[in-house]
Amino acid sequence: MSMTRLPPGFKITRDTNTEEFFINMGPQHPSTHGALRLALRMDGETIVEIVPHFGYIHRGMEKQAESMSYLQYIAMSDRQDYLTAIQNNLGVVIALEKGMNIGVTEKAEYIRVMLSELGRIASHLVFFGCFGGDLGGQTCLLFGFKEREMIHDILEEVTGSRLTTNFFRPGGSRFDVPENFIDRVKAFLKHLEGAMKDYERFLSKNIIVLERSKGIGILSAEDAIAYGCSGPVLRASGVDFDVRKANPYSIYDQLQFDVPVTYTGDCYDRYTVRIAEIHESMRILYQCIEKFPKEGPWRAKEKPVRLPVGRYYSEIETAKGLYATYVVAATTGEKPYRIHTRGPSFPHIAALNKMAQGHKISDLVTIMATLDPVIPEIDR
Amino acid sequence: MGIINLAPKILDPIPGGKYVVNAIDYVVNWARANSIWPLTYGTSCCAIEMMSSSMARYDIARFGSEVFRASPRQADLFIIAGTITRRMAPALQMLWEQMPGPKYVLAMGACTISGGPFIYDNYAVVRGAQNLIPVDVFVPGCPPRPEALFHGLLTLREKILKETCRDPWHEGEPKDVSTMDRYREAAKTWAALERIKDEEMAEARAKFKEENPDYKSSFKPVRVKKEDFPEVERIACKRFGLSQLDIYKKLKAKFPDITVHTHSEDPIEDVVAAMPADRPLEVMISVEDYLPAVEYVKNDPEFKMNYLIDVTAIDYDDHFDMVTQLRSIEKGHKVFFCVQIKKNFDIPEEERPTALLGSVPTISHLYPGAEVKEREVYDMFGINFEGHPDLRRIFLDKDFVGYPLRKDFTHPQMIKRPV
Amino acid sequence: MFVPSITHPVGDFIRDWVPKLTAYLPDALHNATLDSIAAFLINALLCVIAVCAVNIGSAPILIYMERKVCAHVQCRLGPMRLGWHGTLQTIADVIKMLFKEVYSPSGADKLMFYVAPLIVLIAPFIIAALIPFDHNLIVADIDMGIPMIIAVNGFGVLGILLGGWSSNNKYSLLGALRSGAQMISYEISFAMILLFVVMISGSTSLMDIAQAQDGTVLDWFIFKIPVLGFIAFILFFISSTAEMNRAPFDIAEAEQELTGGYHTEYNGTPFAMFYLAEYIALVTNSALAATCFLGGFHAPCIGVAAIDTYLQMVPGVVWLFAKIYFMIWCYMMVRWTFVRPRVDQLMDFEWKFLLPVNLVLLAAGAVWMIFVG
Repeated sequence: MSMTRLPPGFKITRDTNTEEFFINMGPQHPSTHGALRLALRMDGETIVEIVPHFGYIHRGMEKQAESMSYLQYIAMSDRQDYLTAIQNNLGVVIALEKGMNIGVTEKAEYIRVMLSELGRIASHLVFFGCFGGDLGGQTCLLFGFKEREMIHDILEEVTGSRLTTNFFRPGGSRFDVPENFIDRVKAFLKHLEGAMKDYERFLSKNIIVLERSKGIGILSAEDAIAYGCSGPVLRASGVDFDVRKANPYSIYDQLQFDVPVTYTGDCYDRYTVRIAEIHESMRILYQCIEKFPKEGPWRAKEKPVRLPVGRYYSEIETAKGLYATYVVAATTGEKPYRIHTRGPSFPHIAALNKMAQGHKISDLVTIMATLDPVIPEIDR
Repeated sequence: MGIINLAPKILDPIPGGKYVVNAIDYVVNWARANSIWPLTYGTSCCAIEMMSSSMARYDIARFGSEVFRASPRQADLFIIAGTITRRMAPALQMLWEQMPGPKYVLAMGACTISGGPFIYDNYAVVRGAQNLIPVDVFVPGCPPRPEALFHGLLTLREKILKETCRDPWHEGEPKDVSTMDRYREAAKTWAALERIKDEEMAEARAKFKEENPDYKSSFKPVRVKKEDFPEVERIACKRFGLSQLDIYKKLKAKFPDITVHTHSEDPIEDVVAAMPADRPLEVMISVEDYLPAVEYVKNDPEFKMNYLIDVTAIDYDDHFDMVTQLRSIEKGHKVFFCVQIKKNFDIPEEERPTALLGSVPTISHLYPGAEVKEREVYDMFGINFEGHPDLRRIFLDKDFVGYPLRKDFTHPQMIKRPV
Repeated sequence: MFVPSITHPVGDFIRDWVPKLTAYLPDALHNATLDSIAAFLINALLCVIAVCAVNIGSAPILIYMERKVCAHVQCRLGPMRLGWHGTLQTIADVIKMLFKEVYSPSGADKLMFYVAPLIVLIAPFIIAALIPFDHNLIVADIDMGIPMIIAVNGFGVLGILLGGWSSNNKYSLLGALRSGAQMISYEISFAMILLFVVMISGSTSLMDIAQAQDGTVLDWFIFKIPVLGFIAFILFFISSTAEMNRAPFDIAEAEQELTGGYHTEYNGTPFAMFYLAEYIALVTNSALAATCFLGGFHAPCIGVAAIDTYLQMVPGVVWLFAKIYFMIWCYMMVRWTFVRPRVDQLMDFEWKFLLPVNLVLLAAGAVWMIFVG
């Protein structure tokens, strides 16, 4: 096949003796994690080049936000990274708080951190399931979701909703937590510790998993930084960067936790970093349970959400990585001039080509699983 | 298909044949209703709830529907889980056409019923799956719980049980993406009903007053005391790396034209010094200085801005404000370059909405991650990036007209939010 | 004159009864040659019915079993609503599939597209005919049983290759090619292990192999040769899993990668046939494993006469099916526990590990046979 005229997006030109062909993966494909389309240029089973096509779930959230009030946008943020909707709420709310210049009471901070960490565990459990599932072990998928349901039970009890929580507000949250919240979290953590032991035995030392994930999809530290990767993907490449440590928001500076870092940057490292993060999140939760203030106001004084003219930026560390919200207020009022969200998954998919080149199509599935992208967060 | 549809034609005229046809109906419908294999299809939030429903807690397998087929050729049920965008619409119709009959469609979630949260001011979302393909069952919710999905599944089951080969299942027609706003129509009908109800209520009230002139209500409104919350001071988090003032001074020394966006009359240095610690410095910079400045902060050992957070833009009346957000992984400081791009008003007014109004050099050779971000800005704002290796639309179709995030953007399918 | 005959008691029984029945017919039709031909035809018909009944009848049971085993491994319940604990679920599935629209994608080679699923079905049916179900219960007791199985077993891949190629779909083609490469590779170690069994038993007839394991449990080939037998059994398990394209070696279907592999474009009845072939292959391979390693239709006697008499009262067919279902259960547990290796890793495993080990095993078996057996 003459490679002089490649379809748009494909760049690499090379002389081959073999016939290359193109495969279209998605937008409906079981392992593209949603409505993502990958155009693959293949040489046999080996991938030559990948061109991702975005936009199949581009919902125009940012345009819509311009006619919404600030509070309404919190509900929109739920629908971006729906695996940890509660953390997205936090990101938006912190930006609004910066604009309104109000603080948060201690109890509210603990509620925020605890729910965010529960959200992080939920997201990583979905990753665990999808990783195993995409490798061919359907049972893993079910195991990951089993414990996640328990987190959703807690979230439902607190926020009233399983998935799209829409819970945090400038100055605190919508409601106080129920009385048995701490007990529920304690019981869940106790259960999770036992379950995680089983699950790690299931995948971490499985020889087929090791064979399929070690040395696959290596992303060097320089590349990871250059592409703007964040979260576990960046940390698996050996860059010690976590917003919770680098720019601590909420009460993360008062809590003891480590940032797990590995140095190879392959699929297995990304997996181990996420598993280690589940354990770190559990550590944070144990500390929060100990320190949780029983008395005290659960939110600060309610104020109308009107932001003065200016630009406000907040960044938090969600389960996927750096989630930044950029709010532009051109007039003092209830409506933003523009809100922009920076989702962590976008650069990961941009770096996919770098990682998957020269690997087999089965490895692409593994790499996609370990990047753990959420497509609506990319397309918005 | 085919053969059993002939059964009533042949058997019905024969005495007793009706019972045979009824029996065939019963058996076939029983099988179809109880063995519904869904297609693995999900676009957004609802997909996760669909997955949850097949997991251990809810277990869709109890109804025999756990056989999620990845290929549409083997599926019976098309669960549309998640928002459908205009870009996805052709793919959705194609998937539906690839399914062999009899096939059923279950629209899951508010987005597939009416557009859900994405009705107003939206150019991208199809307002309801009904506008694309025939839908059998709607399941409301945003997203619906797995129990709701099961209810939809069982409703579909009942619907299938009522079918007969005398009036066989037939394929509907895929439709075009229409601009129909089902929500607004429903709201109109609702309002009319409410008005009738109000009138009736008023009549009843008048009648009641006539009949009981001495009636006094014993109802006393009780005011619930609102909980009192303290005001809390915001504590800005610690500063890492260089302070905003240092960054400003260093940049000012190199590029004397830069300014900082401010509304106060104070000197800029005082404004910068008074910034809270967790607020990044936003530097207004001209197009000419942009690329040298980015190169400078990337390579300068004191800045080491090696991490690109994002590239985005803001549309003002006469200029774009393109914001390039950079941070240093090692040191922790951030700087935002706000590039002032004057709109090119030489272009005749009627061509402006579809024309590239500004141009700025690309930084994708410095930060490979900027490539997709710049494509996004190009797609949404119509800003040209000089030297970009692959400048195509990223989220929208290549024949999409206009640039959505401009303030003057209009689209025939956009409905203004009622105030 | 050539008179075809089938030699075993059921055949004898029919041969006895056919002349008695034809005695009532007019004299012109009453003739010894005609009788034996009629007896043969009746016999053959019964055999065909038996093979179909075992194969097609077990497929729905296996699908139900698979769904239940899978569900319980995954902490679920599985089908529950249709019939007692969902027992009627597969029947509903089958009826639905039969009445589903059938069409081929545009650009497909129609003839090949529809013939492929039938070809896939051939191999397991032929193998089922060679399995001895009891001392006297076998459809075709041929001397070349094992070579026949080795010859026929590769037939399935032909159907898969044809199906994948004729679908005019790149995913199908990739799946089919993967499957072809995989099955041809694993065919070799599959054959090697059967040769090992032949070497121990000294016969290529499956009936002889089963008879050779008469006695106690320790006479079964899995235990007869210490360690080696067990290794051979494990190797057989692995290579037969790969032969059947079952998870964890289901790289040809690989839902997460190829959306369905070679049967991506199939729908309705042809798809049901692929499904059916998969499960019949499961039965025949399990039966082969039971016959070659687990003593076939022999009861698991333990050498204590008081218990053994009771165990031997149970018909051999029951024991064989018990062993078959135990094997199937093992295959299912493996399927729902392991993750899938990559294509090249699978090939590496066969050519760089399984085959050398097989050769060593064969040599070790020969040494054992010379000095001990």
